[in-house]
Amino acid sequence: MNIINNLENNSKEFPNKIAIIFEDQKISYKELYDEVKKKSLKINNFDKEVISLVSENSISFITMYLGIIKSGRTVHIIPPEISETNFNNQIKSAKSQTIICSENVFDKILKFTKNNIPILKISELEKQLESKENNFKENQIAHLIFTSGTTSTPKGAGITHNMLNFTTKNIIDVLGYLISDIDILPLPLYHSFGLGCIYTSLTIGSTIILHKDASNIENLLNSIKKYHATTFSAIPATLIKILKFENFDLTNCFSNIRLIITNSTAIPKTTVQKYKEILKKGNLATYYGLTEASRSTFMIFEKNSSRDESVGKSAPGVSIKIDNEEIWIKGKNVISKYWNNTIADESIKNGWLKTGDVGFLDDENYLFLKGRKDDIINIGGEKVLPIEIEEVVKQIPDVIDAVAFGIKNEIFGQVIKLNIVKSNESNLDKVKILIHCMKNLEKFKIPNKIDFVEEIPKTSYGKVKRFMLK
Amino acid sequence: MIRFIYYPLIQAHYLYNEKEVKDEIKNIFYDVFQNINENNFVWDKQQKDYENWDSFTQLNLITLSEAKFNISLTLDESIEIKSANELFECIKVHLI
Repeated sequence: MNIINNLENNSKEFPNKIAIIFEDQKISYKELYDEVKKKSLKINNFDKEVISLVSENSISFITMYLGIIKSGRTVHIIPPEISETNFNNQIKSAKSQTIICSENVFDKILKFTKNNIPILKISELEKQLESKENNFKENQIAHLIFTSGTTSTPKGAGITHNMLNFTTKNIIDVLGYLISDIDILPLPLYHSFGLGCIYTSLTIGSTIILHKDASNIENLLNSIKKYHATTFSAIPATLIKILKFENFDLTNCFSNIRLIITNSTAIPKTTVQKYKEILKKGNLATYYGLTEASRSTFMIFEKNSSRDESVGKSAPGVSIKIDNEEIWIKGKNVISKYWNNTIADESIKNGWLKTGDVGFLDDENYLFLKGRKDDIINIGGEKVLPIEIEEVVKQIPDVIDAVAFGIKNEIFGQVIKLNIVKSNESNLDKVKILIHCMKNLEKFKIPNKIDFVEEIPKTSYGKVKRFMLK
Repeated sequence: MIRFIYYPLIQAHYLYNEKEVKDEIKNIFYDVFQNINENNFVWDKQQKDYENWDSFTQLNLITLSEAKFNISLTLDESIEIKSANELFECIKVHLI
């Protein structure tokens, strides 16, 4: 069963149930399925294989996405804040033949587009003629996402319907999603985390309260209370911001929440422990995955669990191994090859995907992440993971954020540089930081250069853009 | 006679005497070598006579000195320092 079949069944079984609420708009399961069907009939009129979709979060994004996959085409999902260079690289690599975008990004995309690819606003699709119904095969690629942001060279990952069905079933089975759930969703839908939440809710038949983004914490907390939400999906940065939001009685606000799902970008142990206290009848959970190997592990932080820094055990039907400190994944959630990229394909061997992440499995096969293999700093032969230094530096009061990375050095090959964001009016200086490091780190891990910066460049998803660090 | 040295880190145009610079260098050695203290610190003790003064220690001595005195030592200067006294002489050149 795929998402379209499930959506159709849900629209027959409980036609009037609200599927999605977004700002002042509501759409029932029947209305949603009818809209998806209508859009797919119009898309069927296009003689195109790959259709690029650029839109911020909205109900139109969801109906457009589902309409395209229902028509048997591949959706190339583009983040609305994409740069011009990245946009043109992606369009070229995807071999996209039509771009559909929201009203808000139309002018920007029109300016970016360098060739004659037709660009269409979602609202203009109404004018298109309808064609006969089309079906798709489960082994077809449903969507194409380029993994960009944390590296300088984006790679396209084409995700098939089979992969999505497999992952959605795992999410529902492991995390126990229910038809009665009301999910607060402020995640970007152009990312596999947000998209996976849509698949989960529409498959099980629950209700999504979609937000444009997670920038307004007060709005999110009000939404949780207003809709008596039972589940909440957010990145670690949002969860940390919520803890600093002092105007709310968080225990009361989260009293109906039975599950908060976050993902594998570093979630501090202290944050996990605070949510364990706040959630009286629920749990915080996380997962580890890549766009090309979605939801490969799951971790539910039980109240008595002692593994608050783990990303959990491998998902059902997924295998994980560690080879030379690096994490490899195999399973039906893993792509068989990248999109027109034979160099990137070298990281897939006999079904095993070499992730580039460094980690270890403990004696009960719980996975722990240590960082990116590419980020390892080699100081005269001594190898250091940035996270080891960052964690120590973040213990210093007044350090808001810190990132460690390697810079060239004539003697050692590389030495460690540290960029630090400190709190306003703090008198923290480089000497205090160095002395703290000397007390708490081995001598080859002491930073050689420290800069105080206004902010650390990060993707909208909270991952450090290491290639931008200087 | 007390000599005064320009010491930019504390505040602009602050004149810092030799004793204060020497005290700071001693503190650098106490921070970098955690087995050295007031009782066993020796100005002329050579690198080869320290148990654990390797290339990483050298790097940390230079890094902490640069941060404390807000100076930047050249590669040649960094390599040549073989004792606390030599570190003092090198820093002095940058502060005057």
